[in-house]
Amino acid sequence: MKDKKENLFHKLGRWFTRMFMGPKYEEKMYQKSKAAEDGEKKPDDSELIVSPARQVLQRFLERKFAVISVAVVLIMFCVVFIGPSFMPKYYDSYTETTQKDLPPTMAFMRVPAELQGDIKMIDNYGSFTVGLSNSGKVYVWGITKIGATGLDVKHIPEEVQNAKIEWVSAGIDHIIAIDENGKFYGWGSNQFGQYAVTEKILSNPNLEPVPAEVLDGVDPDHIQEVTSGYQASAILMDDGTLYIWGNKQAYSNIESFIGRTDIEDVDFTLNYVVGLTDDRNGIYCGVRGLYNVARASIGDKGVKMFEFLDGRKIESLTSTTKSVCCLLDDGSIALVGDFPVDTIQVPKLAEGEYFTDIKGGAYHYTACTNLGHVYSWGGDHFYQAEAPTQKISGVTKVYTGSFQSYAVDENNQLLDKWGLKGYLFGTDDAGADIASRVVAGGRVTMTVGAIAVIIEILIGVTIGLISGYAGGAVDIVLMRVAEVFYSIPLYPFMLILSSLLAQVSMTQDQRLLMIMVILGVLGWPGFAYITRAQILVARESEYVTAAQAMGVKEGRIAFKHILPNIISVILVNIVLSFAASMQTETSLSFLGFGVMYPQPSWGNMLSRASNATAAINFWWQWLFTSFILVFTAVCINTIGDTIRDVMDPKSSNDK
Amino acid sequence: MGRYIAKRLIYMIFVFIVLTFLLFLLYQLMPANRAYTDAKAELAGLKNTLSAAEQDTKFQELYLKYQRRYGTDTDNKLILYLRWLGLYPFYDGKCNGIFQGNFGFSYQHNADVVTVVGPAIRNSMLIGLISEICVLGVTIPLGIKCAVKKGSRFDRGTQVFTLIGFSTPSFIIYILFIVFFCSILGWFPVSGMKTPGSTATGLKNALDVLHHVALPCICLTFGSLASIMRITRASMIDALSLDCIRTARAKGLKEKVVIYSHAWRNALVPLVSIFVGGFFGIISGAMIMETMFGFKGMGLLYLNAVKNADYDLIMFMQVIYTFIGLFSNLVSDLCYGLVDPRVRISK
Repeated sequence: MKDKKENLFHKLGRWFTRMFMGPKYEEKMYQKSKAAEDGEKKPDDSELIVSPARQVLQRFLERKFAVISVAVVLIMFCVVFIGPSFMPKYYDSYTETTQKDLPPTMAFMRVPAELQGDIKMIDNYGSFTVGLSNSGKVYVWGITKIGATGLDVKHIPEEVQNAKIEWVSAGIDHIIAIDENGKFYGWGSNQFGQYAVTEKILSNPNLEPVPAEVLDGVDPDHIQEVTSGYQASAILMDDGTLYIWGNKQAYSNIESFIGRTDIEDVDFTLNYVVGLTDDRNGIYCGVRGLYNVARASIGDKGVKMFEFLDGRKIESLTSTTKSVCCLLDDGSIALVGDFPVDTIQVPKLAEGEYFTDIKGGAYHYTACTNLGHVYSWGGDHFYQAEAPTQKISGVTKVYTGSFQSYAVDENNQLLDKWGLKGYLFGTDDAGADIASRVVAGGRVTMTVGAIAVIIEILIGVTIGLISGYAGGAVDIVLMRVAEVFYSIPLYPFMLILSSLLAQVSMTQDQRLLMIMVILGVLGWPGFAYITRAQILVARESEYVTAAQAMGVKEGRIAFKHILPNIISVILVNIVLSFAASMQTETSLSFLGFGVMYPQPSWGNMLSRASNATAAINFWWQWLFTSFILVFTAVCINTIGDTIRDVMDPKSSNDK
Repeated sequence: MGRYIAKRLIYMIFVFIVLTFLLFLLYQLMPANRAYTDAKAELAGLKNTLSAAEQDTKFQELYLKYQRRYGTDTDNKLILYLRWLGLYPFYDGKCNGIFQGNFGFSYQHNADVVTVVGPAIRNSMLIGLISEICVLGVTIPLGIKCAVKKGSRFDRGTQVFTLIGFSTPSFIIYILFIVFFCSILGWFPVSGMKTPGSTATGLKNALDVLHHVALPCICLTFGSLASIMRITRASMIDALSLDCIRTARAKGLKEKVVIYSHAWRNALVPLVSIFVGGFFGIISGAMIMETMFGFKGMGLLYLNAVKNADYDLIMFMQVIYTFIGLFSNLVSDLCYGLVDPRVRISK
C-alpha cells in the first residue's frame, strides 16, 4: 500500500480537482490522502473539516467510472458543438444518388500495388473503381459489394482473369470489358440488361439490350472509347459507330443515340447521354436546348454554344453528373451545365499552356496540360478538386473516380491521388456521410435535451419553491396545476401537439425550439414535486427560523437561503432528466414527430434503418449512431447516479 | 375510506373536465372542417347544370346543413365542447354526445370509433399483459436478490446491464432483437398478427398467433426490464436499511421472513404506483413497438390517426388515455393504503 503507484484515474481525479478547486486545494487533498495512507503524519483536525460540497466532490472523484463518464461527456460535448466548425463542408440536405447505402470503408483510393506502376486505364462511376494494367489484367477496388443484392464485382470472372483485356469500364453496378480479340465480357448486376441479353430483358420495353454486334465481338483496334453510366454502357468505334445499351429509365435519351454512325465522343451524366457529332459544333443529347449554354469558367454568364465557339470546334467532351466540359481545338475549355455551391474555379493557365486531357468525376474535373501540370476544378465537397498542382509534374494522363482523381505519368506510374478516401461510418439511404451526420445530429439532440431541462428547471423549481414555501391555498392551487400537467399522457400529447404545430409553416430552428418547449412544459411537474418536498423539510430547519427571526424577507429566504441548500438534490435530477429528455427527443424523432429530415437528430437517423431488411443489410446505418447514443446516455446516467450516491450520507460507510 | 374515494373521484372528474376541455380547444385548431368537405363532396356529386351563382347558394345551403348536423354551426368553443359531451342540444334540439353514447366517427376507417378502438385495445392488452407479467416475474426476484446481495459480483454485473438497458431507447433494443431473431436466426416473422391468408382454426390458429406475437412480446419485456429493475432494487435497498429490519433480525427471525415479509412490504410502497401504472399503461399500447412491428394495437392506431388527422378518433383515444392516467393514479393511491397501513390511518 505504501508505494501504491498513482494510477490513471487518480491522476484524472487530481486534474479535475485542480480544474475546479485550484492547485492549492488539490495539493492539500492529495497530501492528505497520502498522509492517511502513510499513517505517519497525523493531519490537523482543522484540515479534516471540509465543507459538504467539497466532501461530495472529493468522494465523486474517487469513483473512477464517474470521472471517466464526465470526461466522455465533456469530450462528446466538445466534438458535437465545436467539431462542426472544423468540418465546414456539411449540409443537412446533402444527397448523392451514386453513394447510397455504402458500408464504412477507407478503400476508395486504395489502388492495388501491382497496378500502381502499370496503369493503362482507371474507370469509376459509383462506389467501386476498376483499373486495367498494360498486361491486360483487371483490378477492382473500393466498395465492391452491390447493395443488398449479394453481388460482388470483386469476383472477376475466370475467363476475364485469363484473357488479355484491352478496355474496361465501370457503371454504377456493373463492369464491362473487351479483350484483345474483341470478346465482350461483363459482370456485376444484370438487372437492367447491363451486359447480357435474356428473354426478360428483351421483353421489357424500358430496356435497350446489348447490340448483337457487341456480343459477337468488336474489333478492339478500332474502339475509340468504352464508357459506362448509371445502368447503361456505350462503345464508340473510331469510324463514328456507336453501340449503346442499358436502362432507358435512367437515360431517357438513349433512343436518340441508337444506330448513330456520326458520333465522335460520348459520355454519361446522371440523367442524360451526351455526345459529340461529327460537325463538332455543339453537344448532342437529343433534347433541344439542354446543354446549349456555354461559359469559359464557373460563374460566368453563359452564352449560346454557337456564339461561344465562334468558329472553334469541340475536340472532345467529358461529363460530371450535371455538367459537361468540352475541350476545344485551341486547347481552351467550354463548361456547360450546373455546378454545386462549393466549387473551385477553373485555373488560369500560363501563356502557351493548354489542356491535353480532361476527365470528369461526379462534380469535379481533373485535367493535365502540355507542360505536365495537373489541375482540378468544380465541386469540392470531399476536397476532390484540390489538385497538388505545385507538387507533381510530368503528368500525361489523368483519371477520375466520382470523388477521386489519379495523376499518371508517361511511364504509366501513378504519381498522386486525391479526393474522397471513404466514409468512416458509411453512408445513409440518401448518400450522405453518417459520421458527419452523427456529429450534427448530436448537436441537435444534446441542445434539445439541455434546453428542455433548463425550461423544466425554470418552471418546476420556481413553482416548487413558491408552493412549498408559501403553503396554504397557493400550494394547493399550484399542486393541482402540476397534477393536471402530470396527468397528461406524454407521448400521445406530444404527438398531437407536434403535428398540430407542424401545420404552421416554420423553419427548422423554430421547430427545434417548439420541441424543446413541448418537452420542457410537459416535464416540469417532476421538478416541482421534488423541490416542494425538499422545501417542506428545509422550512422547518433552524437556519430558516433564524433567518425569519432576523427579519429577512420571505422571498429572500426562499431563494437565497433554502434554494442553495436543496440544490444538490435538484442537481441529480438535472443530470438524470437531461438523459431522459435526450431519449424522449430521439424517440419522438424516431416516430417522425420530432426533428424532421433533412435536419439530423440521433433519433430520426435511426428511424430509416429500423426495418428488418435495412437493419441487417445496412447495419452501419444504425449501429454507430445507436452505440454513440447509448454510450452518451450511459455516461450521463452514471454521473447522475454517482452524484446521488456520494451525496447520500447513508451510503457513505458501505462500499 | 369511502369519503376519501369520493373526494378523489370528484377531483378526478374536475381534472378530467379541465384536461378534455383543453384538449378539445387544441383540436379545434386542427384544419379539418368536416362540414365543408362533405358539402363540397355532395355538391360535386350533384348534376353539374347549375350556374356559378346557383352553385354558390346551393353550397351555402349544404354547408349549413352539414354544419348543423355536426353541430359546428357556432363559433362558441364552450357550446362546441358541451355538444361534444352531449350536454347541449344540437340544432335539431337533441343532445348527441359522449353521454348519449356517440363517441364519434372515424373517417379514416369509415366506422364508429368504438368499433375501431375495440380490436386495437384487445391486441394491445394481449401483448401487454403477457409482457407485463414477464417483466414483473423477472424484475421482482432479481431486484430483491440484487438488493440483498448488494455489492456482490452478481449485483454489480446486473447493475451494469440495467444501466445500459436503462440508457438505451427502446427502439434500439427492438432493432437489435429484429436483427438477431428475424434476420440472423430467422425464428420469428417480422410483422403481422398471423400468417397472411391463413384460415387455420383452433389450436393451430392459436399457435400461429403466438408465433407472431412472441417477438413483440419479448421486445416489450426487455424494453422495460431495466428501468423497473433499477427502481425495485433501489427501493428494496432503502427498505433493508430501515431500523425495523435490524430489529427483525435481532429478534432472530429467519432471513427469508425478514426479506420477504418485513423488507419487501416496505419496499412495495414506492413501487405500487409504478406497477399499477404499468398495468394500466397496457391499454395505451406501446407506440414504438407497434410501429416497428406493424402490430395493430392502440399505439399504431393513434399514430396513424394523428398522421391522417382523423379528428374524432384522436379525440376519443385521447379521452381514453386521460381517463386511464387518472384512474391509475386513483387505483395506485388506493393500493398505497393496502400496502402501507400508515397511509390508511392518516386518511
